[in-house]
Amino acid sequence: MIDLTQNPSSGDRVKRFLKDYYIYLVLILVVVVLSTANLDKFPLFERGNFLSERNIINILRISAPILTLAGAFTLLMISGYIDLSVGSAMSLSAVVYAMLAINGVPFLPAFALTVLLGVLLGAINGFLVIRLRITPVIATLITLSLYKGVALLLVEDGVSAIKSGGGLKMPSWFNDYGRDGVLLGLPWAFWVAILVTIAMIVTQDRMKLGKYAAATGGNPTAAKLSGINTARTVITLYILVGICAALAGIARSSFMSLGDPLSGDGMELTAILVVLLGGTAFSGGEGRVLKSFIGALIIMSLTVGMLTLVPAYFQTLVVGTALLLAAASNHLVSRKDSES
Amino acid sequence: MIVQTAFAEKAQEKALSVRELTKDYPGVRAVDTVSFDIDRNTVHCLVGENGAGKSTIVKMLTGALTPTSGSMAILGRDYEPGSTQDARESGVGTLFQELHVVDQLTVLENLTLGMEASRFGFLVKSDLENRVVKTLAAIEPTIDPKARVSSLSVAQKQIVEIARAASSGASIIIMDEPTAALSEREVERLFGVIRRLRDSDVTVIYISHKLDEIFELGDNVTVMRDGKHIATKPLAEVNGRPELIEMMVGRAITHDYEPRGEIAGNPVLNVKGLSNHLLKDVSFHVNEGEIVGFYGLVGAGKTEVARAIYGADKADGQIDFKGRKRAASPKEAIAAGIALVPEERRTQGLFTELTIRRNIPIMNIRKLASFGIFQDEREKEVAREYVGMLGIATNSIEKYAEKLSGGNQQKVVLSKCLFADADMLLLDEPTRGVDVGAKSEIYDLIRDLANNGRAICIFSSELEEVLGICDRVFLMYDGQVQATIKNGAEVDIPHILNVVTGGGSENT
Amino acid sequence: MTDQAVEGRRLAARDNRLSDEMFITSLVAGAAVALFLLASILVPNFFQFQNVVNLVTNNWAVISLGIGVTFLLVSGNFDLSVGGVVALSGVLAVWFAQAADGANALSSGWGMPTWLAMFCALIGAMLIGTVNAVFVVALRVPSIIVTLGTMMLARGIAQVITQGSQRNTNLPSDFGMLGNMAMFGSSIKMPVVLMAILILTAVFVERKTVFGRLTYLIGANPVASRLSGVDNARHVIKLYLFSAVMAGVVGILLASEFKSGFSNRGTLMEFDALVISLLGGVAIAGGFGSVIGMFFGAIILATVTSAATGLVLSPDWQFTLKALAVFIAIMAQSWALARRHTG
Repeated sequence: MIDLTQNPSSGDRVKRFLKDYYIYLVLILVVVVLSTANLDKFPLFERGNFLSERNIINILRISAPILTLAGAFTLLMISGYIDLSVGSAMSLSAVVYAMLAINGVPFLPAFALTVLLGVLLGAINGFLVIRLRITPVIATLITLSLYKGVALLLVEDGVSAIKSGGGLKMPSWFNDYGRDGVLLGLPWAFWVAILVTIAMIVTQDRMKLGKYAAATGGNPTAAKLSGINTARTVITLYILVGICAALAGIARSSFMSLGDPLSGDGMELTAILVVLLGGTAFSGGEGRVLKSFIGALIIMSLTVGMLTLVPAYFQTLVVGTALLLAAASNHLVSRKDSES
Repeated sequence: MIVQTAFAEKAQEKALSVRELTKDYPGVRAVDTVSFDIDRNTVHCLVGENGAGKSTIVKMLTGALTPTSGSMAILGRDYEPGSTQDARESGVGTLFQELHVVDQLTVLENLTLGMEASRFGFLVKSDLENRVVKTLAAIEPTIDPKARVSSLSVAQKQIVEIARAASSGASIIIMDEPTAALSEREVERLFGVIRRLRDSDVTVIYISHKLDEIFELGDNVTVMRDGKHIATKPLAEVNGRPELIEMMVGRAITHDYEPRGEIAGNPVLNVKGLSNHLLKDVSFHVNEGEIVGFYGLVGAGKTEVARAIYGADKADGQIDFKGRKRAASPKEAIAAGIALVPEERRTQGLFTELTIRRNIPIMNIRKLASFGIFQDEREKEVAREYVGMLGIATNSIEKYAEKLSGGNQQKVVLSKCLFADADMLLLDEPTRGVDVGAKSEIYDLIRDLANNGRAICIFSSELEEVLGICDRVFLMYDGQVQATIKNGAEVDIPHILNVVTGGGSENT
Repeated sequence: MTDQAVEGRRLAARDNRLSDEMFITSLVAGAAVALFLLASILVPNFFQFQNVVNLVTNNWAVISLGIGVTFLLVSGNFDLSVGGVVALSGVLAVWFAQAADGANALSSGWGMPTWLAMFCALIGAMLIGTVNAVFVVALRVPSIIVTLGTMMLARGIAQVITQGSQRNTNLPSDFGMLGNMAMFGSSIKMPVVLMAILILTAVFVERKTVFGRLTYLIGANPVASRLSGVDNARHVIKLYLFSAVMAGVVGILLASEFKSGFSNRGTLMEFDALVISLLGGVAIAGGFGSVIGMFFGAIILATVTSAATGLVLSPDWQFTLKALAVFIAIMAQSWALARRHTG
């Protein structure tokens, strides 16, 4: 009835371009603003030089956990589901990893066992959501509380975190993973984040799982009717998120050189923030792993870079505001898209 | 031996045979020992009134429902689908009324969805892509396989679904009211697609209430009525629409409109130049005490007119109700004295998880409150009054609306509107999914309301309904009122059908 | 037709005298009592009247927040911002009331009289509620995302005002009055009495008023309610403002009780408010639940945590226990409702 074959007007093309590339523009903007701003007030980094090698390395090192997590989280949101327990899963993994390390387990087995723990944590979420049919928000709020609770219980009373002391000492490799430059001055944790992101991009573009995630989020009935096992797809995605949360926990605990049961607090918010910033739709179906990765870089540049401009206690305010703005703009864009 | 072989051969010619198929719901037999055969490579039509059991049969064929008893066979082999997936694997594809394509993927990705070749989870190139692209090109060459499905029209999405079924090796494709949302040109294109399918070794089971389509497209027809099989025969042997309709309704069709004499009332509603995304310059007026109908096929813009008057959708143009300005929201419309019975009863009209008592006062809830405090006793009185007045079949006003039959649910929705003291009722498909008995009760009620001076607008895609009750009928096509006819014995039905399918627009 | 009539009668015979809500609420209340008795057997000295009183009085803040959160959940919306609003309103009240001539930035404020400072703090809380309403109603952003954002926004502002810590000096002498006022010559403080009044009012509003009815309608079927003439947007705006006011009042009373505005006060209270609503049988999808259920949900949570303390479990157990309690509650409710509807 309505002719949809009209050529897009130039205005539409500009909109399209903005929708596809705005995230890169925002990243450039943030970097430009931060690098030209007057940084003398707060001597955390080399003065007045946001783009200094030391500062960039520092930001990328601190960013390793969220960069690791963003890709899998994006795929899960594309499938129309959410995981609020990632922060707690990260804390629990950090604690377990630190416990293994401090008790003399060598790097590889400790690493592998922690990743295995991530599989378990993700599988529990998948089980609650898919098999027991608990709403994703509630199911993962339950595990948020559960994983955090277990992490707290693993750390002895009266001690705030697993760390050197009382006759036990963290092995030196523990800290190296998160801090020691192995390539371009960047540590293993960062390169693992890059590898994970590449793996997620390949998953999204080249694997059945990525396509099935889009189908599950875009039109669940159609996906089921096409013979896609949406339950298995979603459980697999939860497990992927669990694995990435474990890797993020390893990165965080290595960087801080301790297993802190609160180290992942708020990570779910950061993850939601970067994924929304990257243009993933709440309603599912739509989103790009790479854009979430860029979104994570933006947020980390902002929050870390901001420390050079304003006191640390501005951070919550800025992140909260960014979350609201990202949510609003993301939603307005996707709504216009569906109306036209 | 010989006899058996002959039987087997004969059975093999049948794409699908249904034997003594029965489906019971608690207390209701929806399909009653139905048997018929569908010949290979034909378009087999399934017709019947609402509630005749068509959709139950379709659901059993697609594996969505399990029969209570009876059997089905495809090419002589037993067919017992436990799920839609099973059905697909047995070569039965389905085109549902709601679209099942993923907007966010490309056409090609949709066509191969669930059938991808892969190695260790990685997608690999295979001849599947070439095959599905060829299938698509054969039935509709204008669709670009690389296009995102979100950029396609509804008709094109449908064709993508058909291509998917065809390329997944379906030997039978079931189409449930596929033309409901299509324009005439798109329907023609779809028919072309269906004929090409039939010629390429696919059997099509076609469900539609549009009889012209059936005569144009079908080879054989099965008629259902009240859950029972009435007849299966070649359409060539059916003596035109009257015979088909008679088989469907069990009586010759008459529209029993009794002229209610001259409606003396003044115009209460004046609409001028109503336009929005679907409507184009719709103008009309409705008098006090008059029953007017808006007749057109699905997608002609009837619902949009109702929603615009009701303030539920935005539209340009003038709407003048009793000298008041147009309503900006349903709330304002109700305050002005307009009430709507929406198209989708269960999702838009009724609160299914509330009781009858709680449903009835909703549109005028403050009438039962003093100083914001709710009067439970008065609510009960009101509920009892309306249950009695409209003859809602229930033994308790505390019954959940969900548990009522379609007709009784609709009466509850009507009660809501009546309690709102509306001077004008907008009834969108007021008897859809309503059984015959309740239907005539609802018509009687509508006449009573009009006789008491209320203005009634009926928006319907059932011609019998409109001709049975309306004083004047606006014929809609493509978002416009194409013609206005005065109801009476001399109504020219072919003319009406011509107009609502885009064939002409002169007033009579 | 006769079949249907028979079926109708059969279904009607099964129609329940008790509504689903009452059923779940009594279930929750029963569970609360059972848990209390169980704890009394397991934990020495648990079975005391004073202990029952403590279960309520120690939780007045979360229960009060739960009222607004429950109303919003019933209408189909989340409010996770209440914890942040508690911090913000408390900090604002203190900041406004602090004398203007303090020795340093954290000890000097606006020098308002206590009542005005508290009133202005309440306005600040309502501003956060307004942001919630605008984003949820006008921009139609999912409420869970919006209120997570405003949770951080509110707390963020509080942190900026307190420079990441707290303000507790240079306050007028009457600032601590409201939060510490003892009632009826007993040890029960004013905020607890206020909570009791609010609960009773909320139950009345929910059961007996048009406002309560509309809240349920919107949650049960927003499309049908709009077409039935309900102004969904306006109602949800009111609910967000109401919830923000509740959180504001709680924050101000806590600030008064401790005579300080602490930017980390109320951390996780939003989750506790959500948890007790869920324990109390409020459906996350909207259209179902009750304030009284939420109250018993709070009692369940309080019993479990205080029994755990009585059993000398480390306080680190609280997260695990909460997770298990919510899990069991949700499974039990869906099981009970499913049985009720099929059996």
